[in-house]
Amino acid sequence: MGSKPIEGERKVFMTGNEAVAWAALAAGADIMYGYPITPQNEIMQYWTRLGPKYNKKFLQTEDELSAGFTTIGGVLAGRRAFTATAGPGNVLMQEPMSMAEAMRIPTVVVIQQRGGPSTATVIYSQQEVTLTCFGGNGEGLRVVYSTSSHQDLYDYTIKAFNTAWKYRFPTFVLSDGYQAKMRESVVIYDPEARGIQMVPTEPFLGKAGTPGEDRPAAHLRNTYNIEEELLEVLSKDIEEYERVAPEIIEYDAYNTENADLLVIAHGVVFRSAAMAVKDLAGQGYKIGYFRPITLRPFPKEQLRQAAQQAKQLLVVESAYGQLLKIVQDNLYGLNVPIKTLLRPGVGITPEEIAEKAKALLAGKEA
Amino acid sequence: MGKAVKIALAGEGGQGVQSVAQILTEAAALEGKEILYIPNFGVEQRGGVSIAFVQIGDEKIGAPKFKTGDIVIALSGRAVRRVRMHVGPETIFVYDASIEGVEEDLPANAKKVLAIPALETANKELHPRVFNVLIMGAVIGATRVVTVEKAKEAIEKKLGYKFEKDPELRELNFKAVEKGIELVERMGVA
Repeated sequence: MGSKPIEGERKVFMTGNEAVAWAALAAGADIMYGYPITPQNEIMQYWTRLGPKYNKKFLQTEDELSAGFTTIGGVLAGRRAFTATAGPGNVLMQEPMSMAEAMRIPTVVVIQQRGGPSTATVIYSQQEVTLTCFGGNGEGLRVVYSTSSHQDLYDYTIKAFNTAWKYRFPTFVLSDGYQAKMRESVVIYDPEARGIQMVPTEPFLGKAGTPGEDRPAAHLRNTYNIEEELLEVLSKDIEEYERVAPEIIEYDAYNTENADLLVIAHGVVFRSAAMAVKDLAGQGYKIGYFRPITLRPFPKEQLRQAAQQAKQLLVVESAYGQLLKIVQDNLYGLNVPIKTLLRPGVGITPEEIAEKAKALLAGKEA
Repeated sequence: MGKAVKIALAGEGGQGVQSVAQILTEAAALEGKEILYIPNFGVEQRGGVSIAFVQIGDEKIGAPKFKTGDIVIALSGRAVRRVRMHVGPETIFVYDASIEGVEEDLPANAKKVLAIPALETANKELHPRVFNVLIMGAVIGATRVVTVEKAKEAIEKKLGYKFEKDPELRELNFKAVEKGIELVERMGVA
């Protein structure tokens, strides 16, 4: 009771959902709020199994709207709070996360993407990119990490709490049903043993002292009477988001120098892309990859740098052009042709990417 | 691509293919191998064809699903039709000899197609409940992805609590693994 959930580090073989629960525990999360939806259910299941031993709390709410708002409530009370959802649940989650964006509340949400639209499949997709990055009725002032392995899930769940509490923007770990349900090895560790300090939490409300005298008033607003008042607040938030973006941005790149073909992929599809690219590079093709790890903020300059050296680009995703839109937006003005392999709601194998890439490299496909 | 052994295991819900995948991957984990195991899953709670995609290798595994398996196993007629798409020229395709009426549905492009009398052997020589462990033996026999010792250790880890109540069950499971290996060896694959 009360001791550390993980001492030092150890290699384990588990599902992605289990890895998320362990990461939240290791990060010192206090409470999870949630409503069941496949494929994220086991995050709740493992959290409720592991949590009580370490005095952690769980609240099952009546729906995802409530799960999001209670997560905000937990944060306002100074707790390291989080929730997890998927698909239609992610749609409902946008309302509370829009409020978190408005009030700069450091919420953490884990998304396990499933097929869409609507109920679609409980299995897998990359169709919640637009929703997770820009889903609220606002400007998308959020941080979105796209994971591609259990190690990522563990590392970035821990990191999400620190990013959220340091910068006070709602933070999302964007994963998918494959990562949620598959089993692979992952090294779980005590963040402190790796020199990772958890950013301390503090209550937003009910602080000691008289507001305005001993401390500034906690003035949390999501309602404004006049347009200019809103613009003033938003301008400040946008300016701050853009200022801290370079500190938050993460990406991975390989063989990008003067590539004949640069493959762009994120999440679990990146694994297939990396396999295909490395295999073809080994056969002597001038092919590289670029993987955005943060989809918000997006590694714009780094992608432009790689893309402007490439003869053509290939965007691969399990959606019909959601990553593609972000890529096009960020590459606006560059002359490089963008080709696509778009497979909404289904997995993409390395063989499929290699086949497409070879055809493009041979000039057989326009 | 990659050197991992790719296994697709399909059967009716309740035939225990996911349990086999769990024990097999546990055994591989005990050997320090890299593994990626993903069950297919849908909205149904039971019934339907259940598939386990398993990859075992020495290096980190790439993509979770694959197009073509090294060994593809089908335990029912529906499973045969469902997983034949994962068969290629290098694939060993295994199905239970008791499945009737699938002659037309068997993959024509496999390296080998083996009908093994797993169900019959389990029923007559062992016990129907160890049918799935016998199938695991067949996978091990055809691929040698894990040693018999580690397979038994993994069985112990997964089912040990049952063996405490019924020690005969341990012997039955261990025999089933060995029998499964033997069935495949007899076909001249191992």
